[in-house]
Amino acid sequence: MSTHAAAQAHAGHDQHGSGHDHHAHSSWWRTYVFSTDHKTIGIQYTITALCFLAFGFGLMLIMRWQLAYPSDPIPLIGGLLGKSLVESGVLTGQGYNALGAMHGTIMVFMAIVPLAVGGFGNYVVPLMVGAQDMAFPRLNMASYWVFLPGGLIMLASFFMPGGPAASGWTSYPPLSNIATMGQTAWLIGMIFLITSSLLGSVNFIVTIVQLRAPGLSMFRLPFFVWAQFVTAFLLLLAFPPLEAAGVLQLMDRVAGTSFFMPQGLVVSQKLHEAVGGGSPLLWQHLFWFLAHPEVYVLILPALGIVSEVIAANTRKPLWGYKSLVYAALFLGFMSFIVWAHHMFMTGMGTTLSTFFQITTMIISIPSVIVLTALIISYHGASIRYSVPMLFATAFLPMFAIGGLTGLPLGLTASDIHLHDTYYVIGHFHYVVAPGTIFAMFAGIYHWFPKVTGRMMNRTLGLIHFWFSFIFINGVFMPMFFMGMAGALRRQYDPEAQLHAETVQGLSRMVSYSAWCLAAVQIPFVINFFRSIWSGQPASQNPWQATTLEWAAPSPPPHGNFAQVPTVHCGPYEYSVPGERRDFCPQFEAREA
Amino acid sequence: MNGAPYGRWLPWNASEHGGQIDSLIDVIHWFMLILFVGWGIFFVYCLVRFRQKPGRNAAYELPKGAASKYAEVGVAIFEGFLLFGLSVPLWSRYKTAPPPPEKRMDVTAIGEQFAWNFHYPGKDGKYGRLDPTLISSSNLLGLDKDGDPAAEDDIVSPELHVPLNQDVYVRIRSKDVIHSFAIPAMRVKQDAVPGMEVPVWFKPTRSSDEFREAMAREYSLDQPTPLFNKKKAGLILMEDYPASGEPVAHKGDALVNATVEKLLAAGIKTVRAAPRATMEVVCAQLCGMNHYSMKAPLFVDTPEQFEAWKTAQSAEIEIDLE
Repeated sequence: MSTHAAAQAHAGHDQHGSGHDHHAHSSWWRTYVFSTDHKTIGIQYTITALCFLAFGFGLMLIMRWQLAYPSDPIPLIGGLLGKSLVESGVLTGQGYNALGAMHGTIMVFMAIVPLAVGGFGNYVVPLMVGAQDMAFPRLNMASYWVFLPGGLIMLASFFMPGGPAASGWTSYPPLSNIATMGQTAWLIGMIFLITSSLLGSVNFIVTIVQLRAPGLSMFRLPFFVWAQFVTAFLLLLAFPPLEAAGVLQLMDRVAGTSFFMPQGLVVSQKLHEAVGGGSPLLWQHLFWFLAHPEVYVLILPALGIVSEVIAANTRKPLWGYKSLVYAALFLGFMSFIVWAHHMFMTGMGTTLSTFFQITTMIISIPSVIVLTALIISYHGASIRYSVPMLFATAFLPMFAIGGLTGLPLGLTASDIHLHDTYYVIGHFHYVVAPGTIFAMFAGIYHWFPKVTGRMMNRTLGLIHFWFSFIFINGVFMPMFFMGMAGALRRQYDPEAQLHAETVQGLSRMVSYSAWCLAAVQIPFVINFFRSIWSGQPASQNPWQATTLEWAAPSPPPHGNFAQVPTVHCGPYEYSVPGERRDFCPQFEAREA
Repeated sequence: MNGAPYGRWLPWNASEHGGQIDSLIDVIHWFMLILFVGWGIFFVYCLVRFRQKPGRNAAYELPKGAASKYAEVGVAIFEGFLLFGLSVPLWSRYKTAPPPPEKRMDVTAIGEQFAWNFHYPGKDGKYGRLDPTLISSSNLLGLDKDGDPAAEDDIVSPELHVPLNQDVYVRIRSKDVIHSFAIPAMRVKQDAVPGMEVPVWFKPTRSSDEFREAMAREYSLDQPTPLFNKKKAGLILMEDYPASGEPVAHKGDALVNATVEKLLAAGIKTVRAAPRATMEVVCAQLCGMNHYSMKAPLFVDTPEQFEAWKTAQSAEIEIDLE
C-alpha cells in the first residue's frame, strides 16, 4: 500500500479516501508496526526516543552518585551493574567514562534528534502542510527501522566484553582507536543512526516543497515547518562527512588502516603497531563539521515548537515572522562554518582562529533576533498560561542563558580558561536540556490532544512544570561556577584536582537536583499514560489555534483530512479586528 | 588579592598574560548580565501585564518601535569590540610572539596515559634525542643517553619546576592519545596531539610559596579521622614545631603518620599546614580510564629554589650514571 500512497501523494490530495479504505483492510502488523503512515511512525519515534531519553538520563543519575560521593558503593543498583562498569558496587573509572560516552551519544543521536525530527517532525509537518502523508511513506518507514537497530546495537554494547564505548560522545582517536570492542559497536550503531537521519531528511524536504495544500505558499508556512525544513537540510548536508568518518574509524579498528593514527605511537611503553601517517585532527574536523550543525538540528525544531505554542497562547501574531524565517535560514547556513571553534585548543594560529571567532560571533546575531522576536511577541498579548505555554515561556530565558554563555567560549582568549570545564557542560546543557527538552515538553502537552483525542491533566502538568523548572536550574546553574573555578569535565574523581576540591559542595548540589529532577518526571509519566486512556476528550481544535493540523479530527484518521484544506491566510491570524472570534484558522475562508 | 587561591569563581591568576584573560571574562559576563537583566525586566513586565483577562483582547497590530533594532545592533557592535578589541589581539600577542630563546626557560611536556613527564635540556641548553624504540619503564621518554652527548645532562622529571618572573617556553607533545596540558592558575591550556609538537609560553608572576601561605590552615592532629587524611594533596608543615626549644618537626616536613606521632608525643595538637603542591598541571582532554588522575605538581620557584632543585636533579643523574 505504500507505493500506492506515495503515488497518490504525488498525484494530489483529492483522492485520499481510497487510501483510507485500503488501510482499513491491512493487517495489524502493517497498521501498528511496519506502518507507512507518518502519524504511526511519528508515534513510534516519539515513544522510542522518550525511552532512550529516560535511559540516557538514568545513566547520568548513576554518574552523579560517583560525583557526589566519590568511591562510595552505588546504593540499590550498584550490585546489579556488570563488571565492566562497577567493582564491588563502586563505579570504576572505565565505567564512568562508558556511562559518560553513552549518555552523550544516547541523548543527542537516540533521544533528542529522533524526538524533535522523527517524532514531532513526522507527526506534525504533513498535517501542517495539509498533506495526507509524507512524500515517500516507505522511505519514512525505512528510516525508523534503520534507527531502531542502530539504537539497539548501542544498547547491546553494554553487554560486550570491556563494556560500551568509553571515549566520549566525540570519540577522538587515537583513544577511540585503541579502545575496547564497545567502540566498534558504537561506530556500527552510529552508521545506522546517521543513515536513518539521511533517509528522513530527504523526505522532509520533498514533502515541504511538493505536498503543500492549495493556497499554502512558503511564506504562509508555520514557523515550525520552516524550522524542520532548515533542519532537514542540515541533516542532509552535515551527516555524510560523519558517516564517512565513522567508516574510516571502523576501518582503523578492524582492517588495520591508520587514517587517524600518526606514526610512532607508544602505548603503555610499547610501540604501537599502527603503520601511522594518519592525522588525529582529521577526525575532529570531520566530527565537528557534523556536530556543530547538529547543535542547530537540536534547537531549530525546539524553536519551531515554541513559536507555535507562543502564537497560540498569546492570541496574537508572532512578531517578525519573516525575520524568524530568514534568521533560521541564516543560522542553517552559518552553522556549517563555525565547527572549528570546538578546536581552539588544538594549536590553532591567529588567522584561522580569527576566522572561526568571526563566524561564531556572526551566528549569535540571528539567534538574538529569534529570541528577541519571540519575547516581543508577548507584548500586547492576552497570555493564556496553559501548561505548554509555561514550558515555552520558561524555555526563552533558559535558552538565552545557554546562548549567552556561548560567548566566552566562542572567543579564543576567554576559552583558554573555560575550555573543557564544567562551564561548557553548563552552556550546552542550557541549550539542549532546559532549552530543547523544555520545548519538547511544550510540544507534547500542546499536540497530545491532537494525537490521542484527549487532554492531559492540568494539575499534574503544573506540578511537572514548576518542579522541573526549579530542579533543572539546580542542576545546571552551579556548573558555571564550577567551570569558572577550573573544574574539568569528564572527571571520574571530582576531588582529584586542587582547584576542584573547593566546588565539591556545588557538585553535590547538582547531584541532589538531578535526582529530584528525575523524581518530578513521575507526574508526567502518570499524566501521559492516564490521559491516553481516560483524559478529558479533546475537540478538533482545543487550543483554538490557526494552523492546519487543527483542521483534522483528533486523532486524525489515515489520510489525515476529511477534506483537503484550502489555505486562505498566513499562519498566525489571531485577534484580527472585526472578527467574531479571536482566531482565524488558515483553513477557513473569512467573510469579506 | 584576598582569600584562598581556589574558590567558586576564577582561581588566583599566577601568570603575566592571565590578567587580560580574566578581564575579558569579566567584561563578557557583565555584558551578559546586563543583556539578560534588561531583557528579563521587559519579559517579566509582559508576562504580568499581558496575562489573559476577561474583556481584554490581544492586539493584532504588532508593537512598533526601533528599540529591538537598536538592541540588536548594539549587541553586534559590542561583540565586534569583544572580538577585535580584546580577544584577537590577546590571542595573537599570546600565540604568535614567543619569548626569545636567550630570555626563556625551555622545557618539553610529554603526556602519556596517565602522567605528565617534563624534559629539561640541561646545562648545555640542548635537548637530547628521544627514540621511541628505547622507551621502557625506566626510560619513560626513550632518552638516548648512550648515543647522544646532548642527552647526558638532560633532566626528566614528573614535576614541573619553573622560575618566578621568567618566561617559560613549553613544547607540548604526547606519546599515545590526545591529552591537554592545562594549568588553571596560569590560564594555560593546549592540547597534546600525538604526532604534533605545539609550544605554549607563560611568565609565572606568583610563587608557590605565596599560594601556600594563602592555603595554610590549622589542622587538628588528635581527631579520630584527621582532616588531612581526606586531602589528596600531600600536606607539609608551615612552621617548626614546637616553636621554642628543639623542634621535633620542621617547616616543610610532610604531614605523614610518623610526623603526627612525634608531634602528638611532644604535646602538639594543632599545626598549620598547607599542600606541598599548590598548583597543578592537569589533563583537560579525556584520555582513558584514569584521565582524572593525570596531573603533575607545578612549582613556581624563586631563582635560588630553582637552582637548588636543578642541582639536586643533576646529582641524581650522576648517581644513575655511576
